[in-house]
Amino acid sequence: MANTGAPTSTIFRRPKQSSSWTDWLTTVDHKKIGIMYGYSAFFFFVLGGIEALILRLQLAGPDGSVLEAAEYNAMFTMHGTTMVFLFVMPIGAAFFNYMLPLLIGARDVAFPRMNALSFWIFIFGGIFLYSSFLFGTTGPPAGGNLPGGATDASWLGSTINGGWFMYQPNAGPRFSTGTVLDYGSIGLQILGLSSLIASVNFIATVFNMRAKGMKLLRMPVFAWMTTVVAFLLLFSLPIIAVALFMVTFDRQLGTLFFDTFQGGDAILWQHLFWLFGHPEVYILILPAMGIVSEVLPVFSRKPLFGYPAVVFAGAAIGFLGFGVWAHHMFSSGITPVAQAAFGLATMTIAVPTGIKIFNWLGTMWMGKIKFTTPMLFSLGFVALFVVGGLSGVTHSIVPADWQQTDTYYIVAHFHYVLFGGAIFGIFAGLYYWFPKLTGRMMSEKLGKVHFWLMFIGMNLTFGPMHWLGLQGMVRRTWKYPEEYNFGTWNMVVTVGAYIIALSIAVFMVNWIKSKRKGVPSGMDPWDARTIEWSIPNPTPEWNFGVNPEVQGLDDWWHRKYDDDEEGRPVRKADADAVIAQFHEQGVNPPAPIHLPSPSYFPFIAGLSFLAIGYGVIYHTRGWGLPLLIFGVVLLLSSLIGWSLEPIEEEHEEVHA
Amino acid sequence: MAQAQTKAHPEPKQYVQIALLLAVLTGVEVALYYIEQGGVSSSIVYPTLIILAALKFVIVVAFYMHVRYEKSLIARFFTVGFFGALMLYTVVLGTFGVLASLGGQ
Amino acid sequence: MSDIAHDEQVHETTGIETRKLAMWIFLSSEFMFFGALISNYLLFKGRPGFPEPYPSEVFDIPFTSVSSFVLLMSSLTMVLADHALHKDDQRSTRTWLVATALLGMVFLAGQVFEFAGFVTEEVPMKLSTNPAASAFFTLTGFHGMHVLVGVIMLLTLVGVSFRKGKLSTATGLNLESVALYWHFVDIIWIVIFTIVYLIK
Repeated sequence: MANTGAPTSTIFRRPKQSSSWTDWLTTVDHKKIGIMYGYSAFFFFVLGGIEALILRLQLAGPDGSVLEAAEYNAMFTMHGTTMVFLFVMPIGAAFFNYMLPLLIGARDVAFPRMNALSFWIFIFGGIFLYSSFLFGTTGPPAGGNLPGGATDASWLGSTINGGWFMYQPNAGPRFSTGTVLDYGSIGLQILGLSSLIASVNFIATVFNMRAKGMKLLRMPVFAWMTTVVAFLLLFSLPIIAVALFMVTFDRQLGTLFFDTFQGGDAILWQHLFWLFGHPEVYILILPAMGIVSEVLPVFSRKPLFGYPAVVFAGAAIGFLGFGVWAHHMFSSGITPVAQAAFGLATMTIAVPTGIKIFNWLGTMWMGKIKFTTPMLFSLGFVALFVVGGLSGVTHSIVPADWQQTDTYYIVAHFHYVLFGGAIFGIFAGLYYWFPKLTGRMMSEKLGKVHFWLMFIGMNLTFGPMHWLGLQGMVRRTWKYPEEYNFGTWNMVVTVGAYIIALSIAVFMVNWIKSKRKGVPSGMDPWDARTIEWSIPNPTPEWNFGVNPEVQGLDDWWHRKYDDDEEGRPVRKADADAVIAQFHEQGVNPPAPIHLPSPSYFPFIAGLSFLAIGYGVIYHTRGWGLPLLIFGVVLLLSSLIGWSLEPIEEEHEEVHA
Repeated sequence: MAQAQTKAHPEPKQYVQIALLLAVLTGVEVALYYIEQGGVSSSIVYPTLIILAALKFVIVVAFYMHVRYEKSLIARFFTVGFFGALMLYTVVLGTFGVLASLGGQ
Repeated sequence: MSDIAHDEQVHETTGIETRKLAMWIFLSSEFMFFGALISNYLLFKGRPGFPEPYPSEVFDIPFTSVSSFVLLMSSLTMVLADHALHKDDQRSTRTWLVATALLGMVFLAGQVFEFAGFVTEEVPMKLSTNPAASAFFTLTGFHGMHVLVGVIMLLTLVGVSFRKGKLSTATGLNLESVALYWHFVDIIWIVIFTIVYLIK
């Protein structure tokens, strides 16, 4: 019985709740926002995947001629940028948005409108980035040519092309004329803002919105990982923001930060980028680790082994992650002292990571394992992440890294941790929490087909890259000659990539079918441990009918099960009655519930960034500066309007 | 206001006194600048300037931003943010050899 | 409408008002932002061989000292506004808010005047003169932008107080949070004034 609230008049009428498309545009409900993040992120996943498949066509055999050199640069850049910023981060946001309030027993996040703002900034940032295909121009360096001798790139090559890391001065105004790298630097800036706003929101939520009895060390591990990720974002995004401003100013205003011909410093960019970039990779992996920490205990019928250790290890990984950035720069000419220090620091991160791995193994040890699809993906995560982590540790040995840098060995490493790790974890989460979203179960049969195809495909794709790299196959190079004998394994890699694509198709079929006709899940289909399963599926709009009171870790489990003398779970006599009772109060809340009212300001504020972005790039053209000014005015007015708009309509202030 | 305030906030009179103190400290800083111009060694002046700036910084944070009077979580956010940034950028500048050259000035 | 549901929804598990907490969270990240900008400047300011002038050669310390004093005093008026709101004295709150905004605008005007001076010197210092100049303008420029945003928030608060008759905490913008932001901008200037202007 949600209170929808009648509109009051500001300049325009405030939107009412409805189920039309305007509902989605103005929603401030964390679940809807999470769903929008999820579908958008998946869409970009497919785009990034297509970019990879095109790359693999080019590299399937020696002297490939599918892509020109300039097009190749664009494809690998967009593949990386899309996967990192437009898929893994937003799908993490999808999970945080949907699940975090449920996991801590809250009705929504601390700032629902700001939450919507984060989404709209993200989606318009992604559109802005991809519009570079349509509007962006590449230009040769002054007095030079584009790679391969071209003077202008084709459509496929006319997009961001400096690598996802945009090293300077290559990606600066002198060597990359044209506008594509402005789309890159400004687009990333916009996306960064989205995540920064979200991180403030999530930290405030975790600190202040927990249910009664939900002490910090009783929160589910995924809630903890969300918090650590939010802190990583909070402290690392400002650094890349400064770096991106510097690039934008170099390109637009003539500053000289990175122009080595005039005293600028190329290494400065690398430091600033990787100061952000390294915490970034922990931002990418920690959510998946959190998901796995939720799934493994449920399907081992055992509590997570060493919960405090897993939590603190996650925090330690985050903290140490700020101290190792220059391990991306071992071959950039930093001093031997710096190399030794960063090499050593990098090795230490293996310790908390290892703690997590052993605790996951300990969780499963002597458990009653149920090999459901989410469990398979979690097991896959553990195995594949270990492989990726081991190759990562080999990079920490500096002389070895000099051999490995810029080869496919590195590509193998980060795809094992990001694909085998983050993406497998994400799929585990999607299968595990699908019932919360839809009230239905995904098909186990199709799920297993998806898993095995993906597992095989993934290893075929990234396994051979280890030895291809050690044999000397170089990164970011659009073709290799016959004489190197890389052809056979590259063909295997390409076949593997297409198998992955097939597995994704299976997943998509499963999702669509199950959403419509999947077996209804009922309330607690997995017989799970944590609080999000104590409410009906699909999740009611108000989340909890009655504000929960938590008595300990895995509170929901302990309402259903006691432990016998040997620590084995014994179902309580009244477990079914308890479940039924929670279901009833979830569906029919006893007291009226007030939810934050929808608002169109976040949408408008997000839209204004498009105007600002295009305005900055084209400010020297007649219409550019007016567009920029319009964007700024639109942003300011929407923010001011927002601050005049009450959080809920027609209620007195609730804070004393 | 329902929020718990651990100690009573200062009165306007005290805020004005603090402002005067800040003004005096600023005056001393500017004076030190000219003293250094006049020939006093920078290795005395510069550390003093930094201490004075730090003092002003802490006074504003503690009294105007009420950190002294708030729950300790607030102080923790400030400390982590500020000292974290300080340490991180010291390491960065160190890697560039900037700290060595600054010390030599 | 049941008040029980209302109170249950006012979550403050830490006992700290949520918007104040959020502003502190945001400010802790701003340290990283300004830290990067300041480090940038420290990196380039002493590098030899750039085309003249270096920023430290064109500073007008007396002028900037007055500017700094103005900003410092605006922190006083800000905290007096905050205090007045706690005492529910709407008129004084408004007065002090306006005073703070005015002092902020005086500071900004000073910055604009100072930059205009640098750019029109006989040997001008512009954004593109050398990397140290780029770093200087970027650092102080971003600080100025932060002051401008602060002034806009202050004036919005004044507007809210007129429109609704009194400042309340039911709307999003909150005087205590704006005050924190304003003081933050001031303490960053304390650091900049010493490290950039006074220490050569």
